[in-house]
This record gives sequence, structure tokens and C-alpha cells, in this order.
Amino acid sequence: MINQAVLFAAEEGERSGLDLVLPPLAEVVGGTIAFIVVLFVLTKVAFPKLREAVEARQNEIEGNLKSAEASKTEAQGMLDDYKKQMADARSEANRVIEESRQQAEQVRKDVVAKAESDAEAIVARAQEQIEAERTRAVSELQGTISNLSIELAEKVVGRSIDASTQKDLVDAYIRDVAGMSTNGGRNN
Amino acid sequence: MASAGLITGYAEALFSVVKAEGDLERVEDELYRFGKLLESNNDLKQALSEPGIDRSQRVKLLEDLLADKVSPHTLGLITFVVASERGRQLPDILEELGELAAEARNSVVAEVRSATPLDDKQRKALAEALGQATGKNVEVKVLVDPSVIGGVVAKIGDTVIDGSIKRRLEQLRERVGENR
Repeated sequence: MINQAVLFAAEEGERSGLDLVLPPLAEVVGGTIAFIVVLFVLTKVAFPKLREAVEARQNEIEGNLKSAEASKTEAQGMLDDYKKQMADARSEANRVIEESRQQAEQVRKDVVAKAESDAEAIVARAQEQIEAERTRAVSELQGTISNLSIELAEKVVGRSIDASTQKDLVDAYIRDVAGMSTNGGRNN
Repeated sequence: MASAGLITGYAEALFSVVKAEGDLERVEDELYRFGKLLESNNDLKQALSEPGIDRSQRVKLLEDLLADKVSPHTLGLITFVVASERGRQLPDILEELGELAAEARNSVVAEVRSATPLDDKQRKALAEALGQATGKNVEVKVLVDPSVIGGVVAKIGDTVIDGSIKRRLEQLRERVGENR
């Protein structure tokens, strides 16, 4: 290399124009050979390793992608299950709430019906008692009036029966008794 | 309760005495009326039969009550029964006596209650009417009872023929009670 550098330096002193831009032929050949060698080495050694690494990396990424996809699918399934469970739970809760509401409504209706029934029975009993009391009071009043009327009648009749009336009554009695013999008798 | 034999025995004894002493009609009537008085007056009946009251007190009571109202024979017979400690049975004995006396005359006794006394004509007509109704010879014994109010009630044995105003008022009361 040192020799080549010296050669180039020696030759530079003799070159001009485009030659100053273009490398010397020996350098091009050397460089080409070196490039070919490097390219060969890279192709045979480095590139396969690099390709393997890339492929491995690609496989790993694809695996990760598949795994992620599976996880996503699984998560989606779980999410669906969760949503379904939530929907079921909500539906169950609604059903329970509706049942409770219906039961509460039924209980309320039963309580109201029983209260109405009890109230009607109480009113009916009260009316019966009032009616019985009224009937009893009317009966007692009628009895009292009857007794008073008859007691009054006894007094009035007792005072109004004079000797003449008594005689008529006795005569009528005698006629009745005499008539009994033909009528078959009468016992009081 | 005294036996029927005891009551009949006393009644027959009294009847024999009444017959023997004469004045049968008056004594019999007085005894009958006194018997009915006792039936309706529990206080007097009790005073004549109460064991706690001394015999002499009972006799004194009878004398105070009857001496100037009845014949001595009547008072003597009543006093005899009461002094024999049979005051409680006296009403039954006197009723039996009345029936015995009537039977002796082939009659039955009709106890007639009236608010006022009946005159002889009414008594006779009533006795005839009751005789026709019962087919027996009837002797009417009239008791004045103001509770009858008006009319007459006759009782012959167990048969009662009630034509009193009291009964009519009772029937009215019963009818009013039924219609209540």
C-alpha cells in the first residue's frame, strides 16, 4: 500500500486534467478486487447471518403479532362474555325487580282488599247491632206503650163499670154459660 | 204437704160437727169464705201456721179477727184446727169441707168471683146456667174480688169459665204482645 501511495504520488506529478479526478487504474482494479472480496465475504458469511437474524426477527414479530391477535381475540371473547353476563345480570336484575314490584303490588292489593273486607264486615256488624238495638228499643217501647195503654184501659174500664154495667156483664155471662150446654161447653 | 187423707179426715170431722150443730148454711158459708181469705192472704196463713208463734197467740189472733164477724160455731171450728197445729192445711180442709157439704146435697161447688156482690136472682140464674153447662147440680159461692174488674169468673173443680173484664184485658195484652 505504501508502495502504491508512493507510486500515486509519483504519478500525480505527471498527471493532469481528467486524470486528476479519475483514480488510477491500479487503484480501481485493487478497489474492485477488494470490493469483490468483501462482497463475497459478506454474501457468504454476513448476509446469511443477517438474513437469518432478520427472518428470526420477522418470525418473532409475526409470532408476537399472532399472539397479540390471539390475545385480542381472547380479550374480545372475554369482553363479549362479560357484556353477555352483564346483559344477563341486568336482565335478571330487571326480572327480579319486576317480580318484586309485582309481589309488592299484589301484597298492596291484598292488604287493601283485606282492609276493605274488614271495614265492610265491621260496618255490617255495626249495622246489624244498630238494627238489633233499634228493633229491641222499638219492641221495648211498644211493650211499654202497650202495658201503659192496657193499664190505663184497666183503670178507665174499672171506673166506668157501674152497677148497671156490671149487672149487664153478669147477665151476658149467664146467657153465655147457659148457651154452652148447647154448644158443647167452653173452658177458659 | 199433708196427705189427702188427713185433709179429708179433718174436713169430714168438721162437716159432722157443723151438721150436728145446725145452722149448716151459714157456718158452711163462713168457713168457705175464711178458707178463700186464707188462700189469698199469705201473712195471715203464715201467722196461723208459723211454729214460732205460740198457740194461744194464734187463738187470740183468730178471736180478735173473727169474733164479731162469724158465728161462735165457725170460730170454734177454725180455732180447733189451728190449735191442732194444722193452720197450714186449713185452706185445703175448708175447701174440702165445702165440697163434702155440696156432695151431701148431691151438688158441686162453683166458686164464683165477681167485682161486686150478686143478687139472689143472679145467683140463681148463674147456678142454673152452670148446672146446664156441666150437667150437675151446682151450688154457687160468690167471692167479691175487685181484681176481676167486671164480669164473672166461675171455677168448678178444675174447670174455669172466665167472663171477666180482667181476662179480656189479659187477652188484649197477649194479642198486643204477639203483634209486637
